[in-house]
Amino acid sequence: MHFAVCIKQVPDTAEVKIDPDTNTLVRAGIESMANPYDITALEEALRLKEKYGGKVSVLSMGPPQADIVLRQALSMGADQAVLLSDRAFAGADTLATSYTLSKAVETLSQVEPVDLVLCGKQAIDGDTAQTGPGIAARLGLAQFTYVIEVEWIDPEKRLLQVRRKVEGGFEVIRGPLPAMLSVELELATPRRASLPMLIDSLRAPIKIWDAGAIGASAARVGIKGSPTWVRAIASPQVHRAGPRWDAAQGVSAAVSEALDTLFSDQDFAAGFEKGWKA
Amino acid sequence: MAKNTRGIEVAEIIADKCIACQICIGECPVGAIELNSAGVAEVDPEVCIGCGKCFDSCPVNAVKFEKKKRGKVSREKPVESGAGAPEHRGVAVFVETIDGRGAPVSWELIGKARELATRLNTKVLGFVPGSNVGEVAREAISYGCDEVHVVDDPRLARYLSATFGKALSDLCARIRPEILLIGATSLGRDLAGVVATRLETGLTADCTGLYIEQETGLLLMTRPTFGGNIMATIFCQHMRPQMSSVRPRVFAMPARDATRKGLITGHGFEPPAVELPEIVKFIPSGTEGAADIVEYPALVVAGRGACDQGSLELLEELAQLVGGVVACSRPVVQAGLLPYERQVGQTGRTVAPRLYIGVGVSGAVQHLVAIQGAGKIVAINSDPGAPIFRVADAGIVGEYRQVVPELIAQLKKRKI
Repeated sequence: MHFAVCIKQVPDTAEVKIDPDTNTLVRAGIESMANPYDITALEEALRLKEKYGGKVSVLSMGPPQADIVLRQALSMGADQAVLLSDRAFAGADTLATSYTLSKAVETLSQVEPVDLVLCGKQAIDGDTAQTGPGIAARLGLAQFTYVIEVEWIDPEKRLLQVRRKVEGGFEVIRGPLPAMLSVELELATPRRASLPMLIDSLRAPIKIWDAGAIGASAARVGIKGSPTWVRAIASPQVHRAGPRWDAAQGVSAAVSEALDTLFSDQDFAAGFEKGWKA
Repeated sequence: MAKNTRGIEVAEIIADKCIACQICIGECPVGAIELNSAGVAEVDPEVCIGCGKCFDSCPVNAVKFEKKKRGKVSREKPVESGAGAPEHRGVAVFVETIDGRGAPVSWELIGKARELATRLNTKVLGFVPGSNVGEVAREAISYGCDEVHVVDDPRLARYLSATFGKALSDLCARIRPEILLIGATSLGRDLAGVVATRLETGLTADCTGLYIEQETGLLLMTRPTFGGNIMATIFCQHMRPQMSSVRPRVFAMPARDATRKGLITGHGFEPPAVELPEIVKFIPSGTEGAADIVEYPALVVAGRGACDQGSLELLEELAQLVGGVVACSRPVVQAGLLPYERQVGQTGRTVAPRLYIGVGVSGAVQHLVAIQGAGKIVAINSDPGAPIFRVADAGIVGEYRQVVPELIAQLKKRKI
């Protein structure tokens, strides 16, 4: 079994904010990290390898410094790491990203066919959840999103069965290999790297592939292959700023005046009185 | 303006404006721009040839460059085949079917599509793949579709990415809508990526605002990014349809009019030529903690400031009194006090109750973007600087252990 895991380097999003006064990004001290969903996908790939044998390859598209997330993957036990790095890849949206990653999976498959592509459900910076399905659609892989358990793989019959989250419950679904799984955080708790593995990973070779190495068409990668563009950014506008009372000046009066304000809206008052029934 | 040693006026990037989108890196013809270790684009002045392409392409005006008497020109991308052609007409909505009925989010999107179609002077189209969906198609007309295109086939009785992906992208190829909206349910998110890839078009996920740009007729899509801390406006200039997914309850439910007339057209289904997965079984989620918070007209939301076991009983009492249920913000889930299903926020549920009462909720942006649709927002927090007060219709600064019992007492009086 050959498992390929796609990993994205993301900023620690909790830290990214817009300065309300200058309308500019405040990014001082923001750390980069491996997308947590992707690390969960890697953990699952490592467990599946332990169970069914084979090899785990990890892929990341990004600037040269994204090799850090691949070294983290190697320290956890990945067998080989490929960094897709090329100026031509810059500015990619999800369509161009899934194209680039799918070309890389094809390239890996020329040496050893990939049986299972694993992705995180979504990246924490973009939250789009589109890259995994995009890769599956391009490579014609069976698609299983929101996976919370891989129940079994039958390498002989080329089948796997997974449990996935769907609206209102769970679905157990069985399908053919090769397949693409996008995984939820609860699928697995990522292991910690041992010290020797950590040290080895710092010296481990990382393959760097550019557009030529994966046979990618220049018109379909990076900004040129991206149909969506950003026009503007802004701070979220969610202001209403109604009146405010201080309980220190008397709890009873504060509550009473706040309720008066709410109930002065007759629709609201009527709704409340009828228990919200129309 | 900065000049390099060859005397060329070079571009500079204003670090705190750069959003690391890397568009300039892709545009630079000489490879002079790189992302530095702080995640900000940086121009190597000795390599820069002063062409100004980075200046033209930067979406956030983060490039400082003196462009000689040319001003900022609009960005042009190479037109690809099938792109932006005028024969793409109509605002289409994918209508999701749950247990034989249309998903509410589909109706919400038809309401929004109506608005967009009016601006574009075009039709609202409903796309309904499924099995036995005749009634759903008629409902789509009642909610505002002019035309409904149905692919009714027993092989579409249960959702599979491969079959629905094929059915919906085939419909798009045939009907050629200029816009396609999909509800960002778990099914919709699974489907949208497949369809966009098959059609090789742009898809913007989880939009919270959709507008038509006056001058260009393009769809402008606003979405939270960086975990909800920033709103980005995205557009898709050349490829069609312009695709957008929208979470439930972001847009208002339109009025239903059973007398509305519209055209329903059936289309055949050509299954994909691949081995299909097989659904072995469906397991409904258990009842424990399963109260679906989005269904309640009122929510009492516990935040970090009310994150202890003792508070829950008090909040339950308040919730019952206002005809609602207790939900929470992320720290309360992280503390293990309430299950994830109760979490309101960017990574939890987007809610739109008639009444939202935040108790000890500070109001991180990720939380606030998920309560935009609430009717009335009441904030109770001991910190007068808590951001939630900026979005509240009524705020009480105080210790919740004092305020909530008083609120309960006064509400009881008003109920009688």
